[in-house]
Amino acid sequence: MQIRTTRFGSLELEPGDTIQFPGGLLGLEDCRQWVLLADAQNGALGWLQSTTRPDVALAVVSPRRFVPHYQFRVYRSELAPLELAGVKDAQVLTIVGKNERSITLNLKAPIVINLERRLGRQVVANGDLPLQHELNSVPATLKKSA
Amino acid sequence: MLVLSRQRDESIMIGDNIVVTIVDIRGDKVRLGINAPAEIPVHRQEVYEAIQRENLRASRIEPKDTRHLGKAKGSE
Repeated sequence: MQIRTTRFGSLELEPGDTIQFPGGLLGLEDCRQWVLLADAQNGALGWLQSTTRPDVALAVVSPRRFVPHYQFRVYRSELAPLELAGVKDAQVLTIVGKNERSITLNLKAPIVINLERRLGRQVVANGDLPLQHELNSVPATLKKSA
Repeated sequence: MLVLSRQRDESIMIGDNIVVTIVDIRGDKVRLGINAPAEIPVHRQEVYEAIQRENLRASRIEPKDTRHLGKAKGSE
């Protein structure tokens, strides 16, 4: 199937490429089907692209690469819809954001994907984790655009 | 908004499968117990709204915004 995207142009997808998010994401409940793309220039970065809304895509990273001790707890009910056989079947991604100072990672509401079943969900972690965890770099491009 | 009065240990049913119970009342704080199916997330409203806003902000990020990601050392 072919999808349109505003950032990456037209993409050709196989049925097995898509990931279903039965509840969508918070604030993006209508976006139930996504595809995970690799960034062309940055091996650490992925893009979760909505297959139904060309303008909606989320930059995602594997959190431990940037926050080595990151861990979180969730109520079992948060993970139940993913039908995970075990923790090993889960892939955790955090959404990249930005504020005036820095690129940030959403550690409070990570995305958990069951790769086997092609199911995903944004979970809300327990406790006081930041929605905008600032990474150490302060890119020149962000400074200029303020 | 539907407004109901409940006392401690009384409950409200929402739809067929959500039950909200007044577990405790102490001063101006009410402890609520919620029984809902696993697929239905339940969170404090302000947490939910903050995550919604952050998701919408993040959904506007473009590849050019991420050019420096991973090039600085990110160990915390």
